[in-house]
Amino acid sequence: MRKYVAKRILMSLLTLLLITFVLFVLIRIVPGNPFPVERMSAEMILQKRAELGLDKPILEQFANYMTMLLHGSFGNGTSLYNGAPIKPIMLKCLETSFRIGVLSILFGTLVGLAIGITAALNRGKFLDGFCTVVSILGVCIPSYVFMIFLQYFFSYKIPLFPYFFDPSNFLQSSIMPSLSLSLFSISAVARFSRNEMIEVMNSDYVKLAEAKGLYGFELLRRHVLRNALIPVVTVIAPLVVDLLTGAMVIEKIYGINGVGSLMVSAIAGDGVDYNYVLALGIVFSALYIGVMLVLDILYGIIDPRISLTAKEAA
Amino acid sequence: MKKILTLLMICALALVTGCGGGSDSAGKLSVMLGSNVVSLDSAKCTDSASFEVIADCIDGLMQLDADGKPIPAIAESFDVSADGKTYTFHLRDAKWSNGEPVTANDFVFAWRRHCQTADKYAYIMGNTVACVKNADAVTKGADPTTLGVSAPDPKTFVVELDAPVSFFPSLMSFPTFYPINEKFYKSLDEEGSYGTTPETFLSNGAFVLSDYLPGAANIQLKKNPDYWNAAQVKLENWQYQVVTSSDNALTAFKNGTLNVVGISGSQIESVKKDTDLMKNLHSIPSGSLSYISFNQDAKNNHGGALANVNLRLAISNAIDRESLANNFVANGSKATYTAIPIHFAPNAKTGKFFAENQQQFAEYVGFNVDKARDWLNAAKAELGKDTFELELIYANDSGNTVVKVAQAIKSQVEENLPGVTLKLQPMPKAEYLDKLTTNSFDVAISSWVPDYDDPMTFFTLWTTAGSEICEHWSNPDYDKIIDDCTTGALAADYDARWLAMYDAEKILLENAVIAPLYTGSNATLIGTNVSGLEFHVAGVNRVFKSAQVQ
Repeated sequence: MRKYVAKRILMSLLTLLLITFVLFVLIRIVPGNPFPVERMSAEMILQKRAELGLDKPILEQFANYMTMLLHGSFGNGTSLYNGAPIKPIMLKCLETSFRIGVLSILFGTLVGLAIGITAALNRGKFLDGFCTVVSILGVCIPSYVFMIFLQYFFSYKIPLFPYFFDPSNFLQSSIMPSLSLSLFSISAVARFSRNEMIEVMNSDYVKLAEAKGLYGFELLRRHVLRNALIPVVTVIAPLVVDLLTGAMVIEKIYGINGVGSLMVSAIAGDGVDYNYVLALGIVFSALYIGVMLVLDILYGIIDPRISLTAKEAA
Repeated sequence: MKKILTLLMICALALVTGCGGGSDSAGKLSVMLGSNVVSLDSAKCTDSASFEVIADCIDGLMQLDADGKPIPAIAESFDVSADGKTYTFHLRDAKWSNGEPVTANDFVFAWRRHCQTADKYAYIMGNTVACVKNADAVTKGADPTTLGVSAPDPKTFVVELDAPVSFFPSLMSFPTFYPINEKFYKSLDEEGSYGTTPETFLSNGAFVLSDYLPGAANIQLKKNPDYWNAAQVKLENWQYQVVTSSDNALTAFKNGTLNVVGISGSQIESVKKDTDLMKNLHSIPSGSLSYISFNQDAKNNHGGALANVNLRLAISNAIDRESLANNFVANGSKATYTAIPIHFAPNAKTGKFFAENQQQFAEYVGFNVDKARDWLNAAKAELGKDTFELELIYANDSGNTVVKVAQAIKSQVEENLPGVTLKLQPMPKAEYLDKLTTNSFDVAISSWVPDYDDPMTFFTLWTTAGSEICEHWSNPDYDKIIDDCTTGALAADYDARWLAMYDAEKILLENAVIAPLYTGSNATLIGTNVSGLEFHVAGVNRVFKSAQVQ
């Protein structure tokens, strides 16, 4: 078990290093300068590039960047926010996106499970069909379209929620973006939990439990849900990263100062801010790799049928 | 399992509601910003949104009145030497928001620092604009103490110039020339952290930041009780909301979330159908000029055909600017036939705008298909080619208007000039700027917003040094006039300088270095309960010091 975990952690770190290198090279290939060059002469541009160390060989630049990362710094912006240190700004934006992300995970999981369980318990009936339609709609409608819909009806037509995100009124401001973001996870969780529930309900041990006289909520809680929900974790985990790392379009529409809009500003400004794009790319990748790693390890703990050592042997 | 779930939910709720609390926006001024504030460091910022927010919070030596004329701000008065090359500003008693007095040293520090750190705006202190002594040398690395600024005492700020600058007092209202408290700046721990939060920023102006983060979509400001002219300020609390979609902004205006929003030309039709909304619509001249830049470098991508003046004149005269401004931009922008925008740079003596006579260069700029075809035939004969395929680049991330304009230009040019094809190349602004600076384009849709109220803010764009960045055109006669008007013999003679600038404009337009298109305008919806807003065509476009909401 320990050997397996150590091996997975090592592999994750190597993957992250590879991603960092690829991002580092790619951002330098993208057209555009890392700072606004309007009305700057070629000489001034070269001077500014030299100041940023961009005139050095790429491997040397990468080595310098990695040294900086290992010292716990993401450096300073190359075009955004007068070259201020990236870390505090990014952390503040991550905090906002995380808080909205956590709400949307809660919405997504709870509503998704409720729909999935209702559909499974009413298999073949009207409610099952209705829940299936709802979950298909959730997959088909992009979250930002739903956001515009909510904004129009629940801010403009019926002013229940603020029209734009208001940091001083966090909870009320977070409801519409969280709901919009959770749309996809509601559908995914609903579909997956329905299928798992049906499979478990048809299994021999549930039939045996029924034969022994267990039925109703007690049967559901003790035998069906416990077994059906474990695989659902695999669906939720990757969604967690998506939701935590923000949603570029929704953040722009609703005026949320999160990592999604930070990424857009870093890419779509007068200059492409290399260091912000890299820092955000690395954080997103690290989150994804981290969540998958934890999930993999936890999976073995949650479900005793899965043996990590067997996996290792394989 | 149940306990864990409950615990998780409680933690999550605690996390998301961590900094809850209500806010009341009723009766509060809420202003749309079309783009994020990039920097609140007056030495480094380059965008209009940043300039505007800085000007809300910091006063320079001078400010502009409602008519755009310079009036005292931190400088109570100033003296000019007989040769016009030394300005002595006498500062009033004013305070920074940390209680320290505003001193002449704050200006000395800020100006020296600007010369040392600025990129795009480095030129503004130098000999094409403000002509501050040694500014160009300091920008290139000379000792900053050699810059022509000094503080003989805390209340006196002296500026030495290399040449007289007639618009110098007006220039002092531009944020690049604002002061920064040296002691405060140096007390900040990290490089670049100045102006990144309300705690790392000092005001001496009408408002202080109450909530701001870099990239924030919402910026909160409140009245500065220590402002030297606090009686003028009526707003106690107000806010900016960054909204990049004008559709979203219009809806927010309709439901009262925003009081001041900019809308696009295509939305004006729908606004006109609503009589209530029409009362809020204002067309505000922006002073910007949109124009076509021709890359005249003989080595450029498509064989340097645009080095031929006849081809450039043909394209310029094949464009129907009236149709462009009225049907495609459609926000009150005016078709323009001069290199200087309309409603800009009034003559200090006559009060007439520099480009008041739009027919002055009709011989070279107009919409005349027959003449355009004659020029095209001449170009074909001179270049020995019958067809010209040119790439037209433009930045498409600043809205839909430029996309429509590009399509209209393509359609007009191709219809009126047989054999000329324009290939549209929309791209993000960073890539567009890269194409300009790396000389990899044929034709570009450009736009320039004036920094100060003098035609020279445009003319310097097309000197040999200026056009090296875009048009790659050089004319010694033109350069000489510009030199004479900035640091040379004409700098001190207002009338002669004014007339000489028309000569420069003639050279520019007879060579079709650019094809002017239209003078910009901002279609703005302002709530009927909002008053006291000031709009300027140059420098800081919107001023909220006297604004109020009934």
